[in-house]
Amino acid sequence: MRVLVVEDEASLRESLAAKLKESGFTVDEAADGEEGLYCGREYALDLAIIDLGLPKLPGLELIRKLRAESKKFPILILTARDRWQDKVEGLQAGADDYVAKPFHFEELLARAQALLRRSGGWAQPVLQCGPVALDPRTQEVTVNGKRVDLTSFEYRILEYLIHRAGEVISKAELTERLYAQDFDRDSNTIEVFIGRLRRKLDPEDTIKPIETLRGRGYRFALQRDSV
Amino acid sequence: MQPRSLITRLLASVTVLLIVFFGLTIVALDLVFQDLAERSVRDRLEVQLLALISASEEDSSGGLQPSAQLAEARFNNPGSGMYGEIVRSDGYPTWRSTSLAGTGLDLSPVLRPGERRFGELHAADGSMVLALSRGIEWEFNNRKTRSFVYSVAESREPYYAQLNRFRVQLFGWFGALMLLLLGALAILLRRLLAPLRRVEREIEAIEIGELTELGGGYPRELLGITTNLNALLRNERDRLARYRNTLGNLAHSFKTPLAVMRNLLGGTAVSGLPIARQLDEQVSRMDDIVKYQLKRAAASGGTGLGLAPVDVRATLDALRGALLKVYIDRGITCDLSVEEGCVYFGDREDLTEMAGNLLDNAFKWARSRIRFTARRVSDSTRRRDGLQLVVEDDGPGIPVSERARVLDRGARLDERVSGQGIGLSVVREVAKLNGGTINIGESELGGALIEILLPPV
Repeated sequence: MRVLVVEDEASLRESLAAKLKESGFTVDEAADGEEGLYCGREYALDLAIIDLGLPKLPGLELIRKLRAESKKFPILILTARDRWQDKVEGLQAGADDYVAKPFHFEELLARAQALLRRSGGWAQPVLQCGPVALDPRTQEVTVNGKRVDLTSFEYRILEYLIHRAGEVISKAELTERLYAQDFDRDSNTIEVFIGRLRRKLDPEDTIKPIETLRGRGYRFALQRDSV
Repeated sequence: MQPRSLITRLLASVTVLLIVFFGLTIVALDLVFQDLAERSVRDRLEVQLLALISASEEDSSGGLQPSAQLAEARFNNPGSGMYGEIVRSDGYPTWRSTSLAGTGLDLSPVLRPGERRFGELHAADGSMVLALSRGIEWEFNNRKTRSFVYSVAESREPYYAQLNRFRVQLFGWFGALMLLLLGALAILLRRLLAPLRRVEREIEAIEIGELTELGGGYPRELLGITTNLNALLRNERDRLARYRNTLGNLAHSFKTPLAVMRNLLGGTAVSGLPIARQLDEQVSRMDDIVKYQLKRAAASGGTGLGLAPVDVRATLDALRGALLKVYIDRGITCDLSVEEGCVYFGDREDLTEMAGNLLDNAFKWARSRIRFTARRVSDSTRRRDGLQLVVEDDGPGIPVSERARVLDRGARLDERVSGQGIGLSVVREVAKLNGGTINIGESELGGALIEILLPPV
């Protein structure tokens, strides 16, 4: 999952980015509104975390511009002023939730995951597709109730595929969502990781959770249990 | 007691002044008229007397009689009001006019020749006559002289009638004149004071938010007041905006470091250590204190002078929409009912702050249902309607023993347990600054009922 953090206070932005990376996100950082707008336009984002008090372009304006350009990814507002007027304006401008400063990272993470889950069409916190279950809160994956150990990157690929279960996702899209902008992108790596995921989730090759559609990409093929 | 209006005061003073002035004028004119009328009676009597003297003839008994051809017919007409008498020096009346019969009048005093007397006499029936008498020396044909007193008198009745007519006319005219003057003055004053009434109307319009400031085009004498009032209104609004901006900046520059601290405390190096938890609690306390004080400070609580009345439905609708979005996972239904024509006189931010905190609380505690009601509170003696906001939910409610404490949290921040929230105490403060109250009760939905009541002003 690729998250944009727009926050002018460098130490807060950096620690936030570090923790989000620890939690399995690919993170882009922007220090002001204009940079935020650039990132929002250029990168394939799954979520944006935007501070309202930004230099150059105020957070509210940034949100309006992104929405006016039909950017659909969920937006989480950070606000220091904590006035209802600001929150209402932010939500009306197109944000989906807010977190007041100073926040606990766990709360921010929970809100971010809830937004991502909803944007993938999931209503329950645990993403369950037949025997495969993924809990973004604990980053735990189980198959038929048995825990499967995944590396961080494997988890991120699986999380993305399950989030969008049923949709075809191209290799390029996966690369974009999972690598930061300066990362060395190699689509062959994706293939390798998909192969490993299949072996870990389905060692007997019975449930076939991930489909490969030649020339188009991958699809998480198991039906969602509930939405 | 309310001071009377300027127009009433002026008209009352002018009326008193006019009554005194016209009263004196009437008295003076009456005196002049009486004097003139009396003088004219006396002149007439003088003429009659001279005519009587010149028409006198000697009679056989050594007296004098008016000749038969005396022109004045009224002497011979009883009750005519014109009387005459000739009395000889020995007191014998040589002639009494026929009209004197039955009047009991004795016209002639004792006068020496050349003497005159003019005065009032009472007739037997109580009526008054004016009498003129003159003593003369008559030389008879036989060269003997004898003195006589000639008297003529006229009834005062016609004079009184004339005086009365005059007085009626005088009062009539002056009364009419006074009414006319007062009417003209009232019209004049209304015109003169029209700009003041416009100021009054415009201030009312500002109070109910139809205008933001007084209009232009006032006369020079009022310009000082109107421009200063406008400056004051503008100043007040600017000041509030500036003040809020400063508070906002303060919040931002204070909370961001707090956010950084909290993030550092959650870092792998210290997280889980007891000191990290303690420091985190302190961050929460600092945050709550700043939040509470800033919110309280930012509440305008003002009269909202020159602010358009806030459309309650639009404000609450926006708030409901925003919170439904945030709490979408809770699957809560929130029924909003706003009475028609419901407006809030004051600052939109105050309303949003109060309603936002209440509704947010309800969303946090509700199981599945929230009811949000806004009603007008009318009082015909007050210029602006009040507002009643009621938020109910089907959550666990607030026990009676807890109610005072939830509202009081803000006042004793040091004693409170971290993480309990300061929402309701902020609402109470903002409501208080708006002249209102907050009450906690139980809803028929099963949970808490919280009411904000802003009385009419």
